[in-house]
Amino acid sequence: MILQIKEISIFSEIFLSISIIFLTLHGVFLSYNKFNKFLLLQNSILSLAVLILVMSSFLIFNEHLFILDYLSFNYSISNDYLSFLTKILIGVITIFFLLIIEQYLLDQKINHFEYILIILYSVLGLFLLCSANDLITAYLAIELQSLSFYLLAAFKKNSTFSIEAGLKYFILGAFSSGLFLFGASIVYGVVGSINFDDFKDLFFWLSPGNKFEFLQTNLLQFGLTFILISLFFKLALVPFHLWAPDVYEKSPTSSSFFFAVVPKIAIFVLLLRICYYSFFGFIDCWRYYIIIISFLSVLVGSFAGLEQRKLKSLMAYSSISHMGYLLISFSTGSIEGIQMLFNYIIIYMISGFCIWGIFILTRLKNNYSKKGNKDLGDLTLLKKSNKILAFVFSLTLFSVAGLPPMVGFFVKFGVFLSAIEASMYFVALFNILFSVISTFYYIRIIKILYFEKILVGKLYYPIKTEKFIIIFLFFYLFIFLFINPTFLYLISYKVSLLFF
Amino acid sequence: MFKMILKNLLIYILFLPLTGCLLLTFISSNNKKLLKLVALNFSCLTFICTLFLWVFFNKSTGIFQFVIKIFWLPNLNLNFILGVDGISLFFVVLTSLLIPLCFLISWNSIERNLKEYLISFLIMEFFLIGVFCILDLLLFYIFFESVLIPMFLIIGVWGSRERKIRAAYFFFIYTLLGSVLMLLSILYIYSEIGTTDYEVLLTFSFSKLEQNILWLTFFFSFASKVPMIPVHLWLPEAHVEAPTAGSVILAGVLLKLGTYGFIRFLLPLFPEACFYFSPFVYSLSALGIVYTSFTAIRQTDFKRIIAYTSIAHMNLVMLGIFSFNTIGIEGAILQSLSHGFVASSLFLIIGIVYDRHHTRIVKYYGGLVHVMPLYSFIFLFFTMANIGLPGTSSFIGEFLILVGSFKTNTSITFLGATGMVIGGCYSLWLFNRIIYGNLKTQYFNEFIDINKREFLTFFPLIIGTIFMGLLPNIFLAPIHFSVNFLIELMVF
Repeated sequence: MILQIKEISIFSEIFLSISIIFLTLHGVFLSYNKFNKFLLLQNSILSLAVLILVMSSFLIFNEHLFILDYLSFNYSISNDYLSFLTKILIGVITIFFLLIIEQYLLDQKINHFEYILIILYSVLGLFLLCSANDLITAYLAIELQSLSFYLLAAFKKNSTFSIEAGLKYFILGAFSSGLFLFGASIVYGVVGSINFDDFKDLFFWLSPGNKFEFLQTNLLQFGLTFILISLFFKLALVPFHLWAPDVYEKSPTSSSFFFAVVPKIAIFVLLLRICYYSFFGFIDCWRYYIIIISFLSVLVGSFAGLEQRKLKSLMAYSSISHMGYLLISFSTGSIEGIQMLFNYIIIYMISGFCIWGIFILTRLKNNYSKKGNKDLGDLTLLKKSNKILAFVFSLTLFSVAGLPPMVGFFVKFGVFLSAIEASMYFVALFNILFSVISTFYYIRIIKILYFEKILVGKLYYPIKTEKFIIIFLFFYLFIFLFINPTFLYLISYKVSLLFF
Repeated sequence: MFKMILKNLLIYILFLPLTGCLLLTFISSNNKKLLKLVALNFSCLTFICTLFLWVFFNKSTGIFQFVIKIFWLPNLNLNFILGVDGISLFFVVLTSLLIPLCFLISWNSIERNLKEYLISFLIMEFFLIGVFCILDLLLFYIFFESVLIPMFLIIGVWGSRERKIRAAYFFFIYTLLGSVLMLLSILYIYSEIGTTDYEVLLTFSFSKLEQNILWLTFFFSFASKVPMIPVHLWLPEAHVEAPTAGSVILAGVLLKLGTYGFIRFLLPLFPEACFYFSPFVYSLSALGIVYTSFTAIRQTDFKRIIAYTSIAHMNLVMLGIFSFNTIGIEGAILQSLSHGFVASSLFLIIGIVYDRHHTRIVKYYGGLVHVMPLYSFIFLFFTMANIGLPGTSSFIGEFLILVGSFKTNTSITFLGATGMVIGGCYSLWLFNRIIYGNLKTQYFNEFIDINKREFLTFFPLIIGTIFMGLLPNIFLAPIHFSVNFLIELMVF
């Protein structure tokens, strides 16, 4: 007799949420009383959080063993290859993220153990977002994730910078979630269902003679536009990007790290499910403004990044331009488009991890000014303090700029290949010219690392070996993926087959 | 056993510099002598292997030889295919000849970060030999662009003064801007044909409009490497600010990447577009020759004059390439090689004097024949080679180019020859100012003639120039059939 439990499809999420509750109780009872002298618990909670994430990722990795059907909970949770891959990626990167930020938390005196728990809550939200199969589940997951992010941005209560970042993020994020609900309600009003599968059955092949053609009204496109705009807000695309440099600059660096690297893939999953799975028949509607938005993002990301002096705003503009490139391959509407999208976003996550990891690990040693954030000049002559770190940093920057022979060139080439195969020649032409402009600010950082002629660079605290090994692991993955990118190609191909 | 080594010779040539790099990383930075010895040994070993390539080259055929195919991504039809034919053979030999000379000339002049310097040069040698050997369009592009990274670091870190950063940026962004357009055309070709294998591409023919647009994008990329007017601005900056060895490699090999790209890719793949755009290329080349020759007369910096002569000679090579007959293209290849010898040695000459006195301005030098006679002899020899004295290699190159382009278009030949006459003007002026006259003792007091190491640096270049000038058939015989094959592809 086979025991069929309906809730087994979100087993790993249930495990994660129960363990977060346990951790909260553990933390509260141990640290918030005078008897234990208000014990500081971050390190132990951090290790426990890593353990929990490892176990959840293990559960997700083996989900094909106990999850039998792809759709469950009245078709609102889907457990297919796409959700599997993205959940694994998010879990693994968050594990390494938690390992790296340990010293940063001690340094910046973020003494509340709730920081780690909020990160775990946002991971829970991201997991649910990856497997969401209807609009309300997606909205709930986005809200859970965004609320945690607002708290992460505003975590340093004694710094006006941090509070301002949190407030800006909260207001704009809540506004965009409102737009999402507005669009979702219009779509529900027209169609009568909120499920992506129902949308697919109705709208996937829109052609004359389709008996549901009466549903293809302008009102539906109107609602769809609002949903897409709210998702573009989350991704920080032009012209909805104005919050990103401020929030990235002013939040604590570990929070900016998390914002820049981890949630983008989950929101892309939702975008893929909406645009390619449910509303593919409307491709002629959403395709054109995605092309325009991608063009503007690459333009703004390249040109505005030239003026930046602060490192975190520079990375914010660079991630705006990367999202622009992703949207180019998203707008092609072909299998190659989705395949190259996944290639690019996986490499974006890995290289973003390396760069932000290096930002977090290098701590300036100066007693005269306690400024928190790094300028461009703070990396001066890193080659003298730490040759290997400078080498890793410069090769990662070359890859982010898209220069051969790094793997970043390969994925950028893939994006433009999918654009040209879809005959979008002018799009490819202008975007590739703007990519040269953004190359300039990447090699400017390399210039600062290597070329300055002053005699003494800035002093840094030494980096612990195990943190360095993590960065080096990601860097090796980089080099390996250039020599043998077959693995990357295969997983992205398997994902893209899901939609056709 | 020997046959098996011979079959895989290109792999050894490609990966010897990388092995040298690997060994160098294990040697401590304090042991400067060992570092220099290891680097020099590996580069000389590479040179000897390329000599084997030359000796065992089959001169009676135009197909690719020593072909090695390594499968990289077979499902995408992207494979690592190496091979040489007559056109690329001598560029490979030239590259592997110039790198040991670079190490020799920087024996005493590079003090800080010696290990990284040697590693950058060896990695650049790997990429350069790769560019000339690879028979796959996308991988050619990857290696073509990868040369930028070590060169950027060499100019920026070991350059001589503050303007080096501007020079490094110019070099990088000019070349990158041209080549991203080429990337788009490569993607288009890949999506049309399904593979970027060179031998397959040769069998394909594009429509007229496609050819025109693709030709233009390829042209932008190679034109900024050649360099042609008006994208030549990076060359004087980069040459002046780079260290001596960097200038030698830049003038000797990197400029040839552009002309090699023209011969290898542009002529056979898009022949009708070449005919269509040839007036455009003629005017740019003629303009380049005359304008840069006139500009060189007015310069005060020694290296800048040589940089402008490089531009003039390379534009003459462009004239030869677009003459579309055997004599012209053979002259173009020969002039590229001879320019590789002559211009590199002129930069070595300036490097010697710069090592001693640390200035490049012509005003401060004078009467060096009285105190450095051996140096004056070598300087005279290479100045005459630069002008195109019969008996030296550049005469053969220039003569063949002018004969070839006379067949196609006589007025352009006239303009090109005028440029070469002006070339005599500034070369002789430069030589006269520095070598003859009175010693300018108000600036310098101590003079040392060249030592054995520096003389031996020049020795292979002098031998090469004389042999190419007196017995050009040694160099012309291997390339004959390959050039014939190329022209057959174009015309029929």
